[in-house]
Amino acid sequence: MRAARTQSRVQTLLLMGGGLLVTIYVLAPFSWLVLTSFMHESDVLSVPPKIGWDSFTIRNYLTFIHASGIEAVVGSRAAENTLPGIFNSLVAATATAALNLILGTLAGYSFARLRFPGQMPLLLTYLGSRMVPGIALIVPLYLTIKTFHLLDDLAALAITYLTLTLPFTIWLMKNYFQGIPRSLEEAAQVDGCTWTQMLWKILIPVAAPGLAAAAIFAFMTAWNDYLFAVILTTTMASKTAPVVVAGFVTDVTTARTLMATGGVLAVLPPLLLALMCQRMIVQGLTSGGVKG
Amino acid sequence: MKVTTEAQPRRPAPPGSAASMLPVMRRRMWISRRATPFAYLLNAPSILVILLLVGYPICYSFWVSLHRYDLRRPRIFRFVWLQNYVDILADPDFWTALRITAVFTVIAVIIIVAVGLAVALLLNRRFPGCGFVRTVILIPWAIPPVVNGLMWQWIYDPKIGALNALLRWLGVIEHYQGWLAVPTYALGGLIVAHTWNEFALAAILFLGALQRVPAELYDAGRVDGCRPWQSFLHITLPWLAQALLIVLILETMLAVRAFDIIYVLTAGGPGTATTTLTWATYLTTFENLDFGHGSAYAYIVTLITLGLSVIYFRILYGRGEFEA
Repeated sequence: MRAARTQSRVQTLLLMGGGLLVTIYVLAPFSWLVLTSFMHESDVLSVPPKIGWDSFTIRNYLTFIHASGIEAVVGSRAAENTLPGIFNSLVAATATAALNLILGTLAGYSFARLRFPGQMPLLLTYLGSRMVPGIALIVPLYLTIKTFHLLDDLAALAITYLTLTLPFTIWLMKNYFQGIPRSLEEAAQVDGCTWTQMLWKILIPVAAPGLAAAAIFAFMTAWNDYLFAVILTTTMASKTAPVVVAGFVTDVTTARTLMATGGVLAVLPPLLLALMCQRMIVQGLTSGGVKG
Repeated sequence: MKVTTEAQPRRPAPPGSAASMLPVMRRRMWISRRATPFAYLLNAPSILVILLLVGYPICYSFWVSLHRYDLRRPRIFRFVWLQNYVDILADPDFWTALRITAVFTVIAVIIIVAVGLAVALLLNRRFPGCGFVRTVILIPWAIPPVVNGLMWQWIYDPKIGALNALLRWLGVIEHYQGWLAVPTYALGGLIVAHTWNEFALAAILFLGALQRVPAELYDAGRVDGCRPWQSFLHITLPWLAQALLIVLILETMLAVRAFDIIYVLTAGGPGTATTTLTWATYLTTFENLDFGHGSAYAYIVTLITLGLSVIYFRILYGRGEFEA
């Protein structure tokens, strides 16, 4: 806005050029993946690749739906597993997001509104716990989860994802609650609301954008994880999309086009979520994640 | 310049204030006077999760790191003091991995900050199509590292990769190259892939901070006769300090921990060209099944990341920009 007043035509053109560069930087690698997923294997393998309307096909995608058809000669196992893997990822990521909202709201509220001894050390402990790399946690977690016979269990996976997500959710909710005027709660107090009523009827509705942002971040982190998933899951009862996709890559027999299609399918849910909730993500990150 | 938000009514009303005199409030649990048990009640589930899933594993892996514990010889579990650490520190492979981790992290973080900042400065301006570009940069952020690895592996492919086709078309190379088979290129290729995946988050964070620079600051600068680069140097950059620190913390951690992308793209190779500390930990633990040395490795990585985060936190705290 500020700039619009003084911006000359040359400046606008330069800015558009910059925007074009960024767009190419982002879209060129990604569109190559998407393009491959819509091509025939033979056209992809020729040098240089044949790109044109002749090579366009949606056969690769159909393979994932009817994995056992004649269409699926190479890599059909991986193709069969992709949709169940995506389903598992959806379950685990949604459960992680829900757990985060409950725990994060309670803890976040305490840091935003209450003063108690040990507050700062506790907050630093939460944030510090996120600094511990997953690779240092995974062996003890594996052994513990094994003792409780919870290996290959989506619920156990979702709970372990709390280690990756909860500190950030608490931090985000703390900052978000701090931005909400206290007078709302004071009014509720005067009206004789109990704390739970106040939380449900006033604070949570007002904090909905912050909660949504926190949920999206938890969902994304859980969806993206590979390390925990590959160690803690063993069968298709709980293997998540990244585990299936990584399986594709290391299996040299899988057709290139199928690999690309699997990759695109595994990206689709988080990508759609990001595009649909663009405003919330940016708002949540800028108002909650970073003050300033 | 203090960058925290303006004084928000975040402190509880002092005991003598009008608010706390209201009789109805004194009966309520959520009044600040009895806050301590309540606060810990609210935190109980989170504390439990962190103790159980981070606290316990950390202690356990320290305990294991003091033992000789090799799954290939499962009957031996012998206390060896710090022998595993001594072994690792005496191993030249460790120092190679440390160097590679440092190179990867420093270069990746510099690129992410530079590209992220440039994109944020660009998107902070109005121009036709800027809304579209703002949407587009969400794509790399939403792509899981494993899929990102798959994507770049396909681009770097020695026989049919798009990079080869592009470079030959541009006349840069004569023959197709196996990019990931050459040590320097492999590390470079890894950095390119990782930074593509990560720059968007930095850009979004920077953009958020930029959008809250008060316009008066620039107006004042203009009145004082600031040239554009001067106002960038003296107004924009100081304002971005906190966002910059957050980006540095986040991205340093992500780079030190990078695992998925290495797994898919290079598996630490060729040779040890892309074997970072995290990858070395993985190899020791899950390929060699040497849990003793593996835990010691993991502990060293933890200490490094904790050390770095303490430094970052001190900077934030020292600037008075971090508060509970």
